[in-house]
Amino acid sequence: MLVQALIGFMGAITFAVIYRAPTRQLPYAGMVGALGWIICLTTRERWGEIGGVFVAATAVAFCSEILARRRRQPVLVFLIPGVIPLVPGGPAYLTMLSFLQNDYAEALVLLVSTGLLAGAVAAGIIIASSVSRMYSRAKYVRR
Amino acid sequence: MEQLVGLVLLAGELLLTCGAEMYRVEETIERMGRAAGFVQVEGFATPTGLFISLHAPNGRVYTRVRRIRQYHNNLSTIAEVNSLSRAFSEGSMTVDEMKLELERLREDGAPESLTRQLVGGGGAMAFTMIFGGNWFEGLIAGITGAMVLILVSWLGRYPVPRVLQAAIGAIFAATLVMHIADVLPIHRDLTTLGAVMVMTPGVAMTTAIRDLFSGELLSGLSRSADALAVFVAIATGVAVVISLGGR
Repeated sequence: MLVQALIGFMGAITFAVIYRAPTRQLPYAGMVGALGWIICLTTRERWGEIGGVFVAATAVAFCSEILARRRRQPVLVFLIPGVIPLVPGGPAYLTMLSFLQNDYAEALVLLVSTGLLAGAVAAGIIIASSVSRMYSRAKYVRR
Repeated sequence: MEQLVGLVLLAGELLLTCGAEMYRVEETIERMGRAAGFVQVEGFATPTGLFISLHAPNGRVYTRVRRIRQYHNNLSTIAEVNSLSRAFSEGSMTVDEMKLELERLREDGAPESLTRQLVGGGGAMAFTMIFGGNWFEGLIAGITGAMVLILVSWLGRYPVPRVLQAAIGAIFAATLVMHIADVLPIHRDLTTLGAVMVMTPGVAMTTAIRDLFSGELLSGLSRSADALAVFVAIATGVAVVISLGGR
């Protein structure tokens, strides 16, 4: 588990560097990534792969929103590296392999599951950003 | 007044070229415009163009259009413009200081450094291990990934389309891993997968989702299409090598 957390941390922090995130925020971005990957691993045994990715993405997005407010940074700085370990690169690759091997039945199954996994990540991000927008709008109206 | 309009426009342009969400661009324009003393501020941002209209207290309306032709991933510029615009609207920064800072950020553009590319290789390593590779496969993927980043940033200096850059990077990675797999005992697919993932259009993907569901349909759809095109290009590049390599 510690190794997996480390992998998630590394995935997020390196992609934060690739997208040129501010250097001082790198450790936080890495931690969000590690958290997401651990949640994904632990919940997907019970709720299936799509459910796990969805829960993890929601957690990552909420964490990013909170961190963004606390550290006065754009949400993207934490959100983008954080969801990177959840991107369904593996299923996408297998889809392409199946198409190449003329195994269209398998390829379509994989294509749909890749789409659903990507959709789960998107749904998590949408929920968190909608809730936080509602919250900040409520605060704005009150003032 | 002219100088203030240019300042607002420059901030918006910087945010757009670095891949910020539309609502952030429009909010920044509004915040800076109000702080600069305009009575009404209208901003309309799309990924390829920026339109602003600033109404001065004396009734004059300043309207500017800025075409955005290229963009790159640079989260730290987004963060800096964000905090600069907040400082400006709170009045803790003068117009000249702001102008200087923004122009410095524009000069910097998207700085390339060997550190970024080598550290980025670690991303490839992480991805190979996330999908079940061992540390040795991860290491090979990491080295290949760093070389892919170096190649892509070199291609970026010439007018090579983004999609073609991704395809070339994928072809390079797949070929290299295929030859290494002949000599060393590594899993070819896992290693290739990790190495090509460094080109994932993560910024376009995430901002597309956030834009689409905050009602920015134009930008949401065009950025999704952009991310999808890059993914298809990567897949095509790998597929070409695999089918030529005979499987």
